[in-house]
Amino acid sequence: MMRTIEILLVIIIITGAFIIASLFAVLPSPRQVSPLNLRRLALTTLQTLDGDYDLSATVFKANDDSAWAQLQIALSACLPPNMIYNLTVYEVQGGAQLYTPIKSFSNAESLGVSSDAASSLVASSNVTFSVTPEKIGGSQGGGVTLYILNCSDSYGWWITGYTAQSLAQDLYNLLSPYFTKTIMVQNTAQLGQILGNTSLQGETVQNAVIINTFGEAVPIPTAYCKSPYSANSYANYSYALGQKVLLYNWTWTSIVGYPFYYVSNTGNFSSIQNGWGIYGMNQIGPGGLNAFLRGLDNQSYSYDPTDIKGSPGVVYLSNQVIDSSNYYGIYPSQSQTSTRALPTSIISPYSTYHLKVTTYVFNPVDNWIPGAVYRHFVTVNGTSQNQGSFYALGLTRTPDIRLTALGLLTDFKPRLYRSEYTVNGTSRLVVLQLGQAGGV
Amino acid sequence: MTASTIDHLVSVTVFLAAILLFISLFNQTIQTAILYQQHRHLATVCSDLLDNMMLNPGYPLNWGKTNSTPTSFGLQDPEFTQYRLSPFSLMRLNYSSGTPVYYSKTGQYYSNITIGFGKFLLVPFNEIINYSTAAELLGINETYGFSLTVTPIVTVSISEIESSPLKLEVSVKGTGFPLANANVSYCLITVKASGGGPYPSYTTDYGESLTDGGGSTVLTFPSFDGNSESYVLIVYAHISGLVGVGYHEHVRYDGSYVVPLIGDFDSKTVVIAHSWDVHQGDDPAEISYNATFLLLSEDFTLREVPLENSTGKVGKINYGNGQPFNNITIPTYNPGIVIITYRKSAQENGVVLMPWGISSMAFPVTFGSTYPFDKEWVVTDIRQVLVNSIAYQARLSLWSLKGYGVIG
Repeated sequence: MMRTIEILLVIIIITGAFIIASLFAVLPSPRQVSPLNLRRLALTTLQTLDGDYDLSATVFKANDDSAWAQLQIALSACLPPNMIYNLTVYEVQGGAQLYTPIKSFSNAESLGVSSDAASSLVASSNVTFSVTPEKIGGSQGGGVTLYILNCSDSYGWWITGYTAQSLAQDLYNLLSPYFTKTIMVQNTAQLGQILGNTSLQGETVQNAVIINTFGEAVPIPTAYCKSPYSANSYANYSYALGQKVLLYNWTWTSIVGYPFYYVSNTGNFSSIQNGWGIYGMNQIGPGGLNAFLRGLDNQSYSYDPTDIKGSPGVVYLSNQVIDSSNYYGIYPSQSQTSTRALPTSIISPYSTYHLKVTTYVFNPVDNWIPGAVYRHFVTVNGTSQNQGSFYALGLTRTPDIRLTALGLLTDFKPRLYRSEYTVNGTSRLVVLQLGQAGGV
Repeated sequence: MTASTIDHLVSVTVFLAAILLFISLFNQTIQTAILYQQHRHLATVCSDLLDNMMLNPGYPLNWGKTNSTPTSFGLQDPEFTQYRLSPFSLMRLNYSSGTPVYYSKTGQYYSNITIGFGKFLLVPFNEIINYSTAAELLGINETYGFSLTVTPIVTVSISEIESSPLKLEVSVKGTGFPLANANVSYCLITVKASGGGPYPSYTTDYGESLTDGGGSTVLTFPSFDGNSESYVLIVYAHISGLVGVGYHEHVRYDGSYVVPLIGDFDSKTVVIAHSWDVHQGDDPAEISYNATFLLLSEDFTLREVPLENSTGKVGKINYGNGQPFNNITIPTYNPGIVIITYRKSAQENGVVLMPWGISSMAFPVTFGSTYPFDKEWVVTDIRQVLVNSIAYQARLSLWSLKGYGVIG
């Protein structure tokens, strides 16, 4: 009998354990097992209502405006019939209380046993949000000058469909906010001045960025249309440019094609044509780029007519530049055609020209670099430092100057200072809370 | 000794019975909990999968505007962010609720969204994305089954109150409420009995109205006899960000008519077929036609975009062998409506419509597997989406194909 009593006690204990375990094992209510994602539904409802900015317009209207009634009709109409909602609009302000409710409407007394909410911050259409770019080099003091070659006495090549002057104007509009001073170099005489370290408008010549809008041609000042610069079809002029870039720590930018392939001066070359029937221009050939690179690396001048370009075909923007594209709001096509890419042999081995790529504008293809910013390094007192840079876009005509701008911005990384979104009276927070009708 | 033995026998029997009972009880509790977890997991997968479709344009990004099969499935409009879907990607989905039609002159079967007479969307099978392809691209092949429906939130229904003069009642409703004080923009296209040479000509009238408290409005056309003219009325209704489309047509002759079929997405061509070659009929005859293309502009009015004559804007088609079909080329990838007026004789004419981009006529989309009545659990989730400014509701139903090993 004792065993039976013990077993009964065991049963009582197990029953107790079962009851206690059942009490703790609280299962969710049926509605919570397989719920509608109310948060997402609320968010997408707000986005739908604001699809044409109607919601943004309505929430800034007076509380007795008929637009509120229309908003409620639209909200009721787009939600399933069993859905209960509460829409509340808050004024966003500074001070102790960040959000102040200004308007609310609902289609029921309460939101049922469970609800979820989503919010959307909308801005008034009356507010203009400004963006202030950081000046390149401003943090180091002095800032950087941007020179855009806009020489009226030169012709461009491989900028088909554009003139150098129209490209220069577009570049000015795109890039001038980022530079302390932007100067259009109006003729080759002015180019000669800055090559001689003479400022045009009181700007700093050192550390400048120079954009050559003439494509494969480079304007040449009259003072340089003579020996020794005329040697080897003016390859020596390219060498001199390389030396100036090194001397003044410039960043020389070539926007399209094979850099330094021609020189142009309509006055001095009036009877000379570039090999394709364009007078005012003289063909240097591939030797121009080789001479420039030797000048940039402070090597002695020697003429090397070797063609070093490659043709990788369709190339794609690097991830770094795609990120910059979103940051700066400049959106060129992500795929381009490159038939004038530079070889990796100009950076490897390093001792060739002491160049390092700091920004790949396009992803390299095999041994070809379709577009990149190359920085030249020198060793001063045992420390390696940048002295002179070269940005080459080896794309096929016609040029897209947005790529030029994007490459420079990606490399210099100026910040954009955006105005506050939470300024009093400019932003309102719309909260839509949804629940489902019925019990559990 | 005997009492002790009986005591042991009784106690062991009772103990074993109790153990079996409690194992069963605990087992049931655990099974219930596991089922709850699995159902909850299915709901999470459903929500994630729906977001994955709605917030991802797929790859290539513009696959909806090409003939190519995407390597990644998504329905988002690549030109936008958030829950905005591509009207062309939706157009390339195999409409699972429709009966496919066969057109012998192209040798193709066509996915069929037909909303009554004269409102066609027929997409060739070699250019549609079918359910199994989408399931594979989504990574749920043989794991989960799904059915996706994308239906317009705003329903604009039009009924004829009086034919002469023509009076039409436009009723605008949402999923849960009539749209009072909604703005209504409309375009009435009338097929002219005469004029236009050998091809049917048409006129267009535009106007605006406002719905009353019950979401209705009556449009009156005082000098228009609805009995003696073929016409189509296209209505856009909008209120506080919600936009819907409706249409109503009246044709005087439907013995032979034009059936537009999508020809090719890459080249934007539409095949102009004779109805007898597609649906047969009882009065096959040669008909002439005149095609035009209307765009919905940002102010909710319709704007005509001319089709060049060289693209087959007007022509004649006949039925049977040896009678080739014609082609027209849509000039743009902006969504709009292809309107084709047709005529057998001066008194026998009509008009048919085809959306270019699913949203321009607010066509619904049903895509996926047939609804599984034998499945143990089906979860559903919904999102509000925009398709080229038209408000839609996307609903995904999901179920597991693996089943659950439930005992008892």
